[in-house]
Amino acid sequence: MTDGERSNADETQGEAPKEDRPKEAGGIRGFFGKARKVTYGMAAHDMTRTALRTRGSMEHLFILVTMGDLVGVPILPPYYSLRLLPYVVPQISTWKRRMLREKDLTDAMF
Amino acid sequence: MSGEKGGNEAPLRTLGSGSLAAVFREHPERRYVMFGGKGGLGKTTFSAATAFWLARQGHKVMVFSVDPQASLSDIFQRDIFGQGPVKIMDNLWAQEIDADKHIAEYQDEIRKKIVDMYGMERVPDEIEDYIQAASAEPAMEESAIFDAVVDIVVGGEYDYYIYDLVPLGHALYYLSMAKVYDEWINKITHLREEMRGYEEVVAKIRREGEVEEDKILGELQYIRGRINAASRILVDREKTAFFFVVIPEEMVLADTRQAAEMFARFDVPIGGYVVNRVLPAELLTEGAPTFLSNRIRMQRRYLDQIDSTLGEQVLARVPELERDVTGLDMIERTAEMLFME
Repeated sequence: MTDGERSNADETQGEAPKEDRPKEAGGIRGFFGKARKVTYGMAAHDMTRTALRTRGSMEHLFILVTMGDLVGVPILPPYYSLRLLPYVVPQISTWKRRMLREKDLTDAMF
Repeated sequence: MSGEKGGNEAPLRTLGSGSLAAVFREHPERRYVMFGGKGGLGKTTFSAATAFWLARQGHKVMVFSVDPQASLSDIFQRDIFGQGPVKIMDNLWAQEIDADKHIAEYQDEIRKKIVDMYGMERVPDEIEDYIQAASAEPAMEESAIFDAVVDIVVGGEYDYYIYDLVPLGHALYYLSMAKVYDEWINKITHLREEMRGYEEVVAKIRREGEVEEDKILGELQYIRGRINAASRILVDREKTAFFFVVIPEEMVLADTRQAAEMFARFDVPIGGYVVNRVLPAELLTEGAPTFLSNRIRMQRRYLDQIDSTLGEQVLARVPELERDVTGLDMIERTAEMLFME
């Protein structure tokens, strides 16, 4: 039994026959929930992914503009950039990795 | 030379012009006062004298230096460097910013914020290196002074703020810094707002409700508020008066003319000119040494030039004194000559 099948089986076992109304409501809710997910996947998932990717690229651009000194790009004015430093501490290593990573064709595709 | 100007009458002020006292009386709204000019012409002297005169008129005055090599301590004969606002006399406070101390406190504030935000024991080495390196940048000192000045002027506790400016070239740098910072902060704030826009779109599509507050955007708006406040003051025609200090010498006049054009480009409102170090005409006697009489004649030529080109913009002529201006007595004497009507 795969994980998916087990999960479906668990769901079926979890639906008590006596509780008709909740089961019905859950079923309808579940149906609409799944329909919504399918619609989201078909219509909006790509859009969301693109928006998040763009936002991610902008985040890296933002760190470059404000903290460029970390990779040798002079920035201005360092005094006010320091004020932003505490907020980007967790992103610094990801950002540096991204800045220094070699780029290839797949970057443009995915 | 007895024929010139009737011998003993050296005009301390230009004929038919306004006076510095009249300018201050007629424009009480001009709370931000700056004296600019080449190095060593008397900017600090006139800043101190103006502060003294205004304080004596009953106004609460703060005179402060934006020069890393400030000399307010010397002129007031008090060590005020890095001690915050120091009361000099009734209604008069003076301040010299210790940029190094300001930077060190600022670094500690950043370190503490990082440690508190992420529950770290100490700042990671990579980040600490960055903090150290950024603080060693040449622009850091000027930026720190710029920021400290914002603290002083936005406080609004005083009736008048007298800026003891750095020499001309540097003052232009200070002014351009305000403009460049202004543009920089506006651009990156705009970038951050755009990022926020994307976050909101995603949240809307996913029906996630409110997006989390962007603390960086909050900080940027705070920084922008401070920089804009400082830039606004420098170009505010209503509240700011910028006075050039000149001496009657060719190079000084030529440089000042050029600087005036540049200041105008930065929209700095020029309130007038003060001529310093005018040799008293009574020294031009028949037995006067050639050196002295030549200098006095040279000054006369340039004073005429100043009058014909600047006319009523010349608000005061202050004579060369027999000693340097230090201490309140000499400051008072200078103020009397500077604000003579």
